Amino acid sequence: MAGNFWQSSHSQQWILDKQDLLRERQNDLLVLTEDEYQKIFIFFANVIQVLGEQLKLRQQVIATATVYFKRFYARNSLKNIDPLLLAPTCILLASKVEEFGVISNSRLISICQTAIKSKFSYAYTQEFPYRTNHILECEFYLLENLDCCLIVFQPYRPLLQLVQDMGQEDQLLTLTWRIVNDSLRTDVCLLYPPYQIAIACLQIACVILQKDSTKQWFAELNVDLDKVQEIVRAIVNLYELWKDWKEKDEIQILLSKIPKPKPPPQR
Amino acid sequence: MQKYDKMEKIGEGTYGTVFKGRNRDTMEIVALKRVRLDEDDEGVPSSALREICLLKELKHKNIVRLCDVLHSDKKLTLVFEHCDQDLKKYFDSLNGEIDMAVCRSFMLQLLRGLAFCHSHNVLHRDLKPQNLLINKNGELKLADFGLARAFGIPVKCYSAEVVTLWYRPPDVLFGAKLYTTSIDMWSAGCILAELADAGRPLFPGSDVLDQLLKIFRVLGTPTEESWPGVTHLSDYVALPSFPPITSWSQLVPRLNAKGRDLLQKLLVCRPNQRISAEAAMQHPFFTDTSSSGH
Repeated sequence: MAGNFWQSSHSQQWILDKQDLLRERQNDLLVLTEDEYQKIFIFFANVIQVLGEQLKLRQQVIATATVYFKRFYARNSLKNIDPLLLAPTCILLASKVEEFGVISNSRLISICQTAIKSKFSYAYTQEFPYRTNHILECEFYLLENLDCCLIVFQPYRPLLQLVQDMGQEDQLLTLTWRIVNDSLRTDVCLLYPPYQIAIACLQIACVILQKDSTKQWFAELNVDLDKVQEIVRAIVNLYELWKDWKEKDEIQILLSKIPKPKPPPQR
Repeated sequence: MQKYDKMEKIGEGTYGTVFKGRNRDTMEIVALKRVRLDEDDEGVPSSALREICLLKELKHKNIVRLCDVLHSDKKLTLVFEHCDQDLKKYFDSLNGEIDMAVCRSFMLQLLRGLAFCHSHNVLHRDLKPQNLLINKNGELKLADFGLARAFGIPVKCYSAEVVTLWYRPPDVLFGAKLYTTSIDMWSAGCILAELADAGRPLFPGSDVLDQLLKIFRVLGTPTEESWPGVTHLSDYVALPSFPPITSWSQLVPRLNAKGRDLLQKLLVCRPNQRISAEAAMQHPFFTDTSSSGH
């Protein structure tokens, strides 16, 4: 379903204000720096990507799952739900909504177990601890926190139109597509409409590929260029952060800093 | 559930039981659809999710409104606006007579709701009189989007009740997997004929084969010439070669000439030749105010 973005729940309920977002996060930011917080989300975006690839999901489904994940924590502290549980739950929900067909829970859990062992052993030394009942309970909670807004618009479709309109070749599309995927590791999907994100990613790609001839094309676009520049800055900052980060060495320490739920009262 | 009082059971949906309910604050009457979350490990059924996420986006006066979704200890309840009856029950109350103005009004509202869905790339895929709700102001609303999904239409739904074939187009009966908006337009055609005939279904087939035969006895059996590709559909079977009927006025005697013309534009075997909802809304049938005449 790709109807009118402006009438959608995405546009009306889920384009958030940056200040609100920071306010919601302030409790988590007492124990984590902003960079650390973003690094944790980069890590879990990778987890979702790997799980999605193992399940052979389309990129659209993976992107939707990632946006669910980010929307949930836009309204919740990291301590409310372990992100390691929320990540596969987002995959389950997105695959149902995006009509990928239903992934059985047992398959999802076995993929999580394998992925934790083979791909993320540098982050987790123990086995994947969750079972079907945890995921189903979490799905319920996720649905409620998303206020049942499940249709997510992604930058991929506007991107295809823009590149076509530009009359450019596949190389540009391939690179921009990857930048759009990377943009899921920033907050831009929570703050800006997808077509603005598509334009910003396209602009970055044109700079990388040194397509100076496209400048005129960008100048003629009817779009809020300040917003586009904000998005460009957020993505460029991501690449800066990424460059110096040794995830394999540092992630365990970061994960241990995540605020944990209070243990249930002992009797 | 404190917000609503549960009243009597009013039906069995695709994935759960429907109750009448009353909002404790506003006294507004609503329909409460309880989603079953049991047995298999699917979690929230995808049919329920589909309905939730579509209706969250589709706000139109000819589409049933989803007012609320209630989460309470492992139960999910969808709260819908309440309508007094569905088109099937309405037919039952008619005693075989229908006012053509009512027929025209319901049909136009059906097309408006459909055009809105189709403009949002949503196919209903299971249109039938039971899924068209009618309130006391004579407003018609599309409901039950639980089957509105892309992975085929099940022949059985949750309650093991067989999904009716009567409103299914020949391409789907022949196993076509690629659904387009044309699937809903066929169903709309069947419903137009049924409206005009005060509730007598046009093609009440008992199984897939019987359904196809009933259709082809009226429209003629399609051939590769009339419908390129038909013989390559996955469930295609060669059937006796019937000629199309010559007199539509015998088939739907109460429908006037303009109505018959619209009907013939909807009931076309070859899917891509069926009229769209947007175009059907502009058909002269709806601007012609004389109630009889040929």
